[in-house]
Amino acid sequence: MDRRTAHSSTPPRDEDLHRRLVYGDESALGEVYDAFGGLVHAVARTVTRSTNAAEDVVQEVLTHLWARPYAFDPARGSLRAWLSMLAHRRAVDRVRDAEHEPGAALADAALLHAALTELPLAQRQVLHLAYFAGRTYRQVAVELGIPEDTAKIRLRAALRSLADRLADPPDPAVERGI
Amino acid sequence: MGWDPAEEHPEIDALLAAWALDAVMSGDEERIRAHIEDCEDCTEELARLREAVHRLDGPPAEPAKGARKGADKVGRGRLMAAARAARTGHDAPAAHAAPYAAAVASLEALLRELDGTPARWGTPVVHDWDVQGTVAHLIAADEPLAERLGLLPVTRAEPGGTGDAAPWEVRWAARTEEVVAYEHTRPPAETAEAWRTQAHGLLELPEAREAEPAALSTALMGRRLPVADHYVIRAFETWIHTRDIGRALGLVVPPPPPVHLRRLVALAVRILDLALGDGARPVLLAVEGEAGGDWVLGPAAEPVAAELVLEAVDLCLLVGGRLTPQEVSRGQAGDAAAAQHVLATAASLAWL
Repeated sequence: MDRRTAHSSTPPRDEDLHRRLVYGDESALGEVYDAFGGLVHAVARTVTRSTNAAEDVVQEVLTHLWARPYAFDPARGSLRAWLSMLAHRRAVDRVRDAEHEPGAALADAALLHAALTELPLAQRQVLHLAYFAGRTYRQVAVELGIPEDTAKIRLRAALRSLADRLADPPDPAVERGI
Repeated sequence: MGWDPAEEHPEIDALLAAWALDAVMSGDEERIRAHIEDCEDCTEELARLREAVHRLDGPPAEPAKGARKGADKVGRGRLMAAARAARTGHDAPAAHAAPYAAAVASLEALLRELDGTPARWGTPVVHDWDVQGTVAHLIAADEPLAERLGLLPVTRAEPGGTGDAAPWEVRWAARTEEVVAYEHTRPPAETAEAWRTQAHGLLELPEAREAEPAALSTALMGRRLPVADHYVIRAFETWIHTRDIGRALGLVVPPPPPVHLRRLVALAVRILDLALGDGARPVLLAVEGEAGGDWVLGPAAEPVAAELVLEAVDLCLLVGGRLTPQEVSRGQAGDAAAAQHVLATAASLAWL
């Protein structure tokens, strides 16, 4: 059992992909696309509500990884979480730049996603893995090399911050109501 | 009932967010359900957290599952085309020049990390060079091969007065000094561009693309070797200095991919063997790792006096002057003096 646990922590694959990206091996980029392109797309689509915008974010994020492989450090988190966070930030920026979208529900979601980008890195990593990448807290813990309890506590802190933001949004009308 | 809801409250409370995110393990669900039946606080908290998740989800999206598949292929093609255009600009080099092409790509990527923060070019790296000085040194170090293969100089540093009669080490060191001094008179971006121009120039030559012209021997920096080997030496030095710059900037530069590292190791072993000469007692060198292999150094006819086990990257760092014989971790058996002699000779190659 112990051996399996030790073996199932995935870091070598991220390190291998990173090494090949650093040295300009195109096939590594193709593998990243195949493994994480769907996730990046889903993240961007959730935020932008647009398939076209999501396709653009996929291109942006993976081209960035290719041009700036040193921006990702496999010792400091998983590639899955890193790509998800980058896609999310780019998507939030897009929505912020576009701004012409009406509709209260959409604006609410956009505000909450903007709040998500401001969470501390450790909380963002776990939230991305659990919410966007569909990992259990145990998988999150293994992927990031942290104890399960830490993963749970970080998930709680992250989601509570967002829930607090909902209860107390930066909208004067709602504030008066409370 | 055997449980006290208050006692397990903290544990369940810690799980609520995971549950709201559908990220719990199969056994957890029943425990949470049983607890929240009696716990108002948890029920409220769960509703609050679920609302947050619901808001993140946004309104239900129109299904587009089928379309993504087609878009996926188009997207992949688009990405790979963009990647090709962004990074290389020339066709794949021959096997002997592939490690150099990869090392150049790695340093280019590292220097991109300095975009927008010009002050970091002044970060001290090694010797008395900052980042710009280290790149300038690489210009000087690549220059003899570039010149021999007919490329035009990329730096306007005036050749000094050491004269052709001076030993190559003296001329080489003097040239580095000239180029470093000259490059510091212009913006770092221009130094980087000059280095890049020369490096890509080397990679576009027939000598980098085909085995035949690369088989010709030429004497450079004190060593008469096939041009192909000089390309491997360029890769070696580029990697070592990229690693130096990465350390200075706090960025980890991974070692070259195994297939390239293997070439660096093989060349290092050959040069080490030449340097040991026939007078040395034979030592079995076992290089570990993906790029490893076994070699007998010294006269093959005599029995092996000692065994030395080194990791591939460590051997390169020893030969590259980045680890001392005292520091390098190794396995060793047999005649200690013979093994020590190999380590000392490796370190004395002073390649870079």
